[in-house]
Amino acid sequence: MSVNVIYFSIMTFSFRNILTIFRRAAYSKFNTLSGSELVPSISLLVPAYNEEVTVIENVKCLLTLNYPTYEVIVINDGSSDDTLGVLRREFGLEPLPNPEMRNSIDCQPINSVYYNPQYPHLYVIDKPNGGKADSLNAGINLSHYPLISSIDADSLLEKDALIRMARMYMENPEETVAIGGDVRIANGCVIENGAVKEISLPRKMWPMFQAVEYLKAFLGGRIGWSSINGLIIVSGAFGLFRKDYVIAVGGYRGGYPGEDMNIIIKLHRYMLENKLKYRIAFCPEAVCWTQAPDSYRILSNQRKRWGRGNLKNMIENYDMAFNPKYKVMGMLTMPYNIIFEALNPYFKITGLLALIGYTMLDMTHWQVLVVFWLINFLSGYLLSIGALLLEEIAFKRFSKISDLTRMMFYSAFKFFGYAQLGGLWRIQGHIQYLRNNNSWGTMTRQSWQEKSGNAKSA
Amino acid sequence: MMPNTTLQSQREQSSVYLDIEQSVKETTFETSGVLFISCAGGPSYLETQVRGILESQPGLTFKIWSGEEPGSLFVLLPGQSLDAVHFQGLLLKQRLQEIVADFDPRMTLASFQGQEELTQQVLIKMEDSVNHQASGEIHIFSKDDIQTSRSRILIVEGDATVREFLEIRLQMQGYETTVADNGLSALELIESWKPDLVLTELNLYGIDGLPYIHHIQRLDVDEVPKIVVLTEQRVEQTISLCFQNGVDDYITKPFSPVELDARIRRCIH
Amino acid sequence: MDSHLTVAIYFIYICLGLIGAGMLLLFWFRIRALGIAKKTQMYLQKHQNYFIFVQTHLNGAAELQLPPGKLTKLERRVIQQKLIEWIEQFKGDLRDKLVKLCHDAGFVRDDIKLLDSLFYGRRISAAYRLGGMRAAEAVPRMLLMMEKQKYSPLTIVIARAIAKSAERGDQLKEMLHHLLRHGKPIHNMAADIVMETGLDASRLLLKLLEDENPDFVKVALVAMWGQAVPEVVPALDRLVGAEEDVRAEAVKLYLSSNPVLKDETIAELMANPDSEIRAEVAKTLGNMHAAGSIPLLRTALKDQNWRVRNNSAESLAKLGDTGFEVLCQVAKHGSGIERETALHHIEKTMLEESEHQKLDQMVAYNKKKLLYERYFGVSESKPVRQVAAVGGDYTA
Repeated sequence: MSVNVIYFSIMTFSFRNILTIFRRAAYSKFNTLSGSELVPSISLLVPAYNEEVTVIENVKCLLTLNYPTYEVIVINDGSSDDTLGVLRREFGLEPLPNPEMRNSIDCQPINSVYYNPQYPHLYVIDKPNGGKADSLNAGINLSHYPLISSIDADSLLEKDALIRMARMYMENPEETVAIGGDVRIANGCVIENGAVKEISLPRKMWPMFQAVEYLKAFLGGRIGWSSINGLIIVSGAFGLFRKDYVIAVGGYRGGYPGEDMNIIIKLHRYMLENKLKYRIAFCPEAVCWTQAPDSYRILSNQRKRWGRGNLKNMIENYDMAFNPKYKVMGMLTMPYNIIFEALNPYFKITGLLALIGYTMLDMTHWQVLVVFWLINFLSGYLLSIGALLLEEIAFKRFSKISDLTRMMFYSAFKFFGYAQLGGLWRIQGHIQYLRNNNSWGTMTRQSWQEKSGNAKSA
Repeated sequence: MMPNTTLQSQREQSSVYLDIEQSVKETTFETSGVLFISCAGGPSYLETQVRGILESQPGLTFKIWSGEEPGSLFVLLPGQSLDAVHFQGLLLKQRLQEIVADFDPRMTLASFQGQEELTQQVLIKMEDSVNHQASGEIHIFSKDDIQTSRSRILIVEGDATVREFLEIRLQMQGYETTVADNGLSALELIESWKPDLVLTELNLYGIDGLPYIHHIQRLDVDEVPKIVVLTEQRVEQTISLCFQNGVDDYITKPFSPVELDARIRRCIH
Repeated sequence: MDSHLTVAIYFIYICLGLIGAGMLLLFWFRIRALGIAKKTQMYLQKHQNYFIFVQTHLNGAAELQLPPGKLTKLERRVIQQKLIEWIEQFKGDLRDKLVKLCHDAGFVRDDIKLLDSLFYGRRISAAYRLGGMRAAEAVPRMLLMMEKQKYSPLTIVIARAIAKSAERGDQLKEMLHHLLRHGKPIHNMAADIVMETGLDASRLLLKLLEDENPDFVKVALVAMWGQAVPEVVPALDRLVGAEEDVRAEAVKLYLSSNPVLKDETIAELMANPDSEIRAEVAKTLGNMHAAGSIPLLRTALKDQNWRVRNNSAESLAKLGDTGFEVLCQVAKHGSGIERETALHHIEKTMLEESEHQKLDQMVAYNKKKLLYERYFGVSESKPVRQVAAVGGDYTA
């Protein structure tokens, strides 16, 4: 119940900010910035593990961003498939004889760096398998620019996404240490030339649930959290960081999933402990489209992984919770995440059991059960409607009325089964953590072209 | 082509064109505006309406003839420059649409300098040009509609507004143009359409920047087109890399259209 | 128990009510947005002829007019939007003509009125459009608006509008003052905004450079990046000796104007604690073909900062065979980071220059190749890269 109270207040913050966001998106033209020497240069880091199907399309998309100075560093994390081969053939890459790695952060030694002067802004690092965090660290060691941005190899950036983020950074360059982008589900959209041409909702059930879920988390939640500087995660799929601070906190942590949340917690900790003024911002107008898992098995694996990473991060940083030294982070974000994100499923189960037991004893109070459940459902649904309203006010990305009704329906339908499954997966993740199972699970990819073909024919 | 020529010779003998030529010679003005309205299946009172609208404007002299096809009109506006004629065209179209709903007149207009420019052949071409139009826009008949061999320019630009402007502007200068809105279709068009010059933005969908310029130069064409870049990108390093890679000229936005004309002319000749 | 239940039931009713209201709002927004989009499309279609008319007659002497007939509010907005789009893309007489059209059509007047609207959103959007229309008469009013505004992304929207429309240098200065008074280090953004002006930027920047406010000086320095003109050199001379804050920027600009540097100045700058300055000097030395600076650059290969090392090596490679030989020596006999840097640049130079086209390039390349083979033997025995110790370098 109090989850929803907090969530309501967070969403109020979101609503307070949404008009500013809308205006900033509508009235800030970036055409002068997008070609200007004054914009900070960015290194894009793209860790790739067994991505031979999608990697070419994604790199091509990343090479055509609307941004003055940037480089793309793809890190092949010891893929067992032909990821490196397809990249080398497509872009005519040759190994650099003496690549300059800066060793600012610990990472496994790399095999070699590939490059082609015809694509002056593309580097490919080949290294033995070491996980996503290690790949990112290797990328940081090669990167030449003061800002870094981590991007999943299965995501497509909108052409203007980076310049929008950079504009936000330039508005307050000294204090901004990280900016997160908005992640949306690309399933169902028509994709052409590495860009989303036509926006529409996913047709399958699982991606559809996730689309509503992401909308609620990003728009309803993160806008609000970022306005009180209590953001705990910048999505690994698309985030921008200041390199000097990432290096200062020792780079990404390997070994466990959830490195995207981990780096943010570390940044918070570092900045607060050193009493530096800072902000970790969320830029909802910078959009990254990602492929959502569309089968039960893959989705459950992903969620279990998240649960595992989340628990690990919470256990590692429990000292921050309820510690006034860490301000919003310590007093609100961490407790919220520990109690309502990590432990939530247990509360729900015990609460439910207690209630059932209670009503079993005294059948005359069956209404209590109904009322309790209704409150739970309705307040949750109200939040979803709120998120949809935010979307409608500021972004208007879905134009069809039918899309709107479908989103409304799925937002309600989510409470019958999907939400419960989410809790179950989280618990399973925790069990895995305790049993020290640290596998990545399977995640298969579909080519974007295939995807858009499906979308068109459907 | 035979039937066409016979038709043409038939038409040449028809009195309308001679009449127009004659009346142009009678006027004392150097310039003379001509407006051709065609409306297949339009109302029979078209002529009276047009006459009424034109008469309502004081100080405007004009003459009207019925064209070859039913429902078509020639309007001669002596002494009117091109923009005045165009404005009349707009006005006529709007008023006519106010009177008759879903009325779709097709118009071609021109303004001729000196009387010798205005010949029967030109008038016939003008009349024909109406039929080649796909859209209902007012067509401005220029000398280029008469000439045949012109330089070809491929315009590659993602922004629809700029693309439209460049197309109109370059066509007025007498170039033959085609447009593309992304890098990949631009590369295809360069191969198939073989332009003399590519006027391109650097920042495009599909493929862009230096790899795009490289690709143009490696295409399988007899002669690599001249490349003029028109872009937002002002980073010095990029500009110098572009010149090193065989770009002929580099113009940054916002741009002066007059300057653009001059630079394109310099590149082509 | 019962009272709890009643509260809970009331709560359910409130939720239901809010959900219903939210849904209605959603549909209403969506339908309205669709309606506006449809109408806009229709008007764009309707006035297509007019837009073509304007585009073909931008060059002519005659004044432009609005399309004939009465226009609805949305219709006017659609036309205005199109005009603004053109104004943003063009320079020169054509733009002036469009600006005049906006003015004559009353668009400017309407939006100035909106600057006094009760709704903040309307005021902001009006300011944005006024900037698009380069409306000089709205500047004083917008400056006032900026003065009252707290710092937010929208401050920048207004600042841009002012920069676009200002007709006097002092208005721009006032705008900068309002923009920078919040104490945020947004000089790059400010420079970008100032450069949007239609006024003569170089004269304005010179004035800013002379200003006593260090923030203004910094903005000017950043804005001039890479395009230092001879006139600014005296001012830069002064700034290079000035306080820390603007010094790095000043030195960078100073060096890009290809000055004649005395040996003492070079040595002094190379010992500067600011790594950015050292890096810039190292870069300039290569471009100046100052062979006398080779020992300095040789030492700089050991610098803590990566950029300084990198630029030094690059400059050495540019300084003929003597410079290249120094690189080879370091690569052969040196150790640690200096060896790394040298090796990287030797390989890069050999790769780049092997594609020589002109005769003199060929001569230079062959001389270097000879040196290369003397140090490392013929190409089959390539210099082997040793992985530098992890944690050796924390400057990136």
